[in-house]
This record gives sequence, structure tokens and C-alpha cells, in this order.
Amino acid sequence: MLEPPFWTSLTLSLEVALTASFVLLLTGVPLAWWLAFRSFPGKALLEAIFLLPLVLPPTVLGFYILLFLGPEGPWRKLTGLSWAFSFEGLVFASVLFSLPFALTAYREAFLSLDRNLLEVARTLGVPRGKIWLKVVLPLTWPGLLSGTLLAFAHTLGEFGVVLMVGGSIPGKTQMVSIYLYDLVQALRFREAAEASAVLLLLSLGVLVAVRLLEARGRAWKSTTR
Amino acid sequence: MEVHYQIRRPVALEAHFHIRGFTVLLGESGVGKTTLLKALAGLVPAQGTPFPGLPPERRPVGYLPQDLALFPHMTAWENVAFPLRGPGRKEQALKLLERVGLREHAHKRPGQLSGGQKQRVALARALARKPELLLLDEPTSALDPLTKDQVVADLVDLIRQQGIPALAVSHDPALARMADWLLVMGRGRILQEGPPEEVLASPKEVEVARLLGYENLFPARVVPGGVAVGQVILTLPLPSWARMDEEVWLGVRAEEVIVVREDRPLPPENVLEGVLEGLHPEGLAFRGRFLGPVTLTLLLPRHVQERLRLHPGQRLRVALKPRYLHLMPSQAGEIA
Repeated sequence: MLEPPFWTSLTLSLEVALTASFVLLLTGVPLAWWLAFRSFPGKALLEAIFLLPLVLPPTVLGFYILLFLGPEGPWRKLTGLSWAFSFEGLVFASVLFSLPFALTAYREAFLSLDRNLLEVARTLGVPRGKIWLKVVLPLTWPGLLSGTLLAFAHTLGEFGVVLMVGGSIPGKTQMVSIYLYDLVQALRFREAAEASAVLLLLSLGVLVAVRLLEARGRAWKSTTR
Repeated sequence: MEVHYQIRRPVALEAHFHIRGFTVLLGESGVGKTTLLKALAGLVPAQGTPFPGLPPERRPVGYLPQDLALFPHMTAWENVAFPLRGPGRKEQALKLLERVGLREHAHKRPGQLSGGQKQRVALARALARKPELLLLDEPTSALDPLTKDQVVADLVDLIRQQGIPALAVSHDPALARMADWLLVMGRGRILQEGPPEEVLASPKEVEVARLLGYENLFPARVVPGGVAVGQVILTLPLPSWARMDEEVWLGVRAEEVIVVREDRPLPPENVLEGVLEGLHPEGLAFRGRFLGPVTLTLLLPRHVQERLRLHPGQRLRVALKPRYLHLMPSQAGEIA
């Protein structure tokens, strides 16, 4: 049977992933909108920087974040907050780590939106807030939600970044992937197998939800014209 | 309504023209028709009047883009009610749908409506904003070719009933014939404007003539009492601007090239002799090519072909009636 430390680490992972997804939704949606519809000098470079976490070794990313958040880092000096080896630090790292996933999905959702709909909505004298609520969100929410879910699943499974930024303090920063690693290190394979099965089912569930949402998004697109 | 707009991007153009009733702007693809329409809607930056400097939200225009851009997730009445506010918006939307004859389709989504019905929903939605001007981008393009003419005629009638001036851009000469006022646009400028019967009958430039379906266009030279096309002298009343020896363009519509009947007296002027090179059915008419002193495309109504029974390769005579011969100056802007 799975022991309480597993459930503690899983709860922590879920909390971090949920908080990070929420932050991604709030920051990533406006950012993706901006990247989808505006052009400005240096846009390609900026997009490359946002995508960097996709290709960078997670430990490298984690190392930089640790330096940034650490006792001598700029974040501490700027805000007085010490986020290394803390829940906030894990969330911060997760947001950066999963940003490319969320951003790409959000941008796709916005780019698939028929620009004519937005133009016509403007000529109808409707304020922008109402256009967002009544046109943009109803047509893009499947894409936005599936992007957020992907980022959630991605955060749930991250290892290198959170190990660098959070370490493995049981009950505080030990996320479920790290707990699993510790089990294997201690040669507790039966428990490791059970923990892995739970994570497998969780990930599968999220991906099924993402696929269903994508199908829903396509259904709207086919009726636009 | 008088329009005077200057646009730099995406197409550079300067346009000065009038909108009178249902106005059609005819032009080939790429000359900036849609850009001009979007500029009037405030969606493309432009300088000039009307609505100087106003953002789209504050312009009293109803804009119907080529694909109509109905909101796919809303029903017909929700689309129409979108610009409306307040508790009575559903009733208002239903009234507007009634005005365009779609009351019974109010609860359908755009995907369940035909092309013509979608167009009328888009019109009702535009009317909800109480526009002073309607803008239509290629209103004939999204329609089923079989029913297009009737659907467009109904739409134009409906727009006339609203009493709101409208500007429709198109490359479809069929729409031009339904207009109250016709504009012809070339690259970056308006070439000609006027009542459609005037513009269609007497294009001022060869580019206008080409757009309006003059298939036979020849460079010619003014001679006493007519023009010389190659070796042939054609008699016609010369317009006042025509100077002796001037280079001009001569235009003849394919359907106005007349095949001479051998059992009838010969027309007094402009009879040409040659060979019929090909003859192909085109709808209910027949399109052929006449090779003679000049090469002409001709379009025979079926009642003519049924009587004459022409066949490719045969010799025949055609007549060009002076009043169907249209002269245009060789350079634009020579007639003030």
C-alpha cells in the first residue's frame, strides 16, 4: 500500500501544478494574444527566449532559477523575499518551465480565431471587454483550457528543475517525482511501481481531457465558414 | 455622400467619389477595393472624410466582409442582438430578422443557414447598429452560382428598402448592372463614376472598358468621318474630343458584332468579310471568332444561331453599327 509520504508529496505536486497553471493562465493568455497579433522588432528573439525551457536541460534552467531566487540573488535584493527551497520557488520555477507549452497552445488557439470576427465585432460598436467575453473566450476556451491542462500535466511530472530549486525536503518541497526517485534509490520497487501507476493514470486522464477539448475546438472552426 | 480617402498601406491609393443609393465599386482583384472598404469601416488607417480619424467602434457603418463573419457559436438572433444592449435586445433582434425575412430561422446557427440567409443575418446585424452607410465586400462571391442572381437581386432590394446608402465592392459585372451608381477602380484610383447605364455604355478609358466586358478592343487612329483600324476604315460619329490623326482605342462588345444575313439588304457601312474560326456554346449563346481585316470575338444569341446555322470554317460577313462602336482616348485623363 502507498504510504502517507507519497500522498503528501502528491498533494504538494498537485498544489504546485494547480497554482502554476493558474499563474500561467493569467500571464500566458495576454502574452500569447500579444505575440499572436502584434509585430515588433526583436519578436523572434523574444519568442525564442520564451521557448528556451523546451530545449534547455532542466538542471540548467533550475540552476539559473536557483541563482536568481537564492540568498544572494536579484529577486531577494529586489523584493526581500526568499523563495529558494520554498513552495513559491517551486511555483515560480514551474511557471517558467511550462510556459512554452502553455504559450504555444494559447497562441494556436488565438491564431485559429477568424480575424474577420474580431474586425466585424469592432465595427458593430461593441466595447473590447464584451468582444472578449462574448466572442474570443467562447471560441478559444477549449484551446486555452487544453493548453493549461498540458502545462499542468507537464508541471506534475517535472524533476530536474524542482530538484534544483526546491531540493527534496519531505513535506515541504519534496514533489512526487522526487519522492519516486528516492523510493528507487532505497530499492523500494514495489512502492515505486504503485506510485508510478497512480501518476500514469493521472497523466493519461489529463491527456484524454486535452484531446476531447481539441476536438471541441475543431468543431467550432468547421462551422465558422 | 462624398468620399475622399487617402491610404498608404497595405495598398497606396487615393480615391475621391460619391455614394448614391446602392453603389457598386467594380475593379479587378488587388487594386485595393477591400482596403478602401476597410478604411471606410476604420479597420485600415486612412486620411480623409467621412468619419475622419474615428476608430471602428465609433463609425456609424455596417460592414459585411466577404465571408460575412457571423459568430459561429451564436444563433441568428444572438448574432443580430450582439451590438444591442438592454433588456429588449431579443425583441429588437427578432424585429430586425423579420425585416430581412428570417424570423422563422432566428434559432438556427450560421452553419445551418444557406449563403443567402447568412448574408441577410449579417445585414440584420449591421442594421442593429443603426448605420449611416453599409459596406459590402464581394456580396456575390459566397453564393451558390445557380441561385446567385436572384439572391443578390433580393439583397439589393432589401438594402434599398432600408433607405441607407451602401457601397458594395465586386469584380462581378452582373452586380454592376443592379447599381444606382457605379464606380470603376483601377490600381490605386477611381477611373470613372456615374449612373451604370452611362458607365457601361461609354467607358472613358480602355481599362474601364476591359473591366466592363468589352472583349474587342483595338488601337485605332482618327480619320475624317471615322477611325482606321489597321487597313480598315470604320465609319462612326466622332466624339468632340477626337482630333484628326490622334491615336485612340476602339471598343466593341462581342454581343454587338452583327452577323450579316445574306437574304437581307447589306447594311450601309462597316461591313467586313472573313472566316468564322470557331464557334462554341456558352450557356444559351454561342461564342465565335471572326478572322477578317480585324479579328473579332462575337457572341450570338441562340435565336440568331438557330436561324443562321453557322459552322466553323465558313465565310461570313459581319457589320459593326456606328452607334455600337465606342471610342476612348489612348491616354487616361484626356477628357476633363
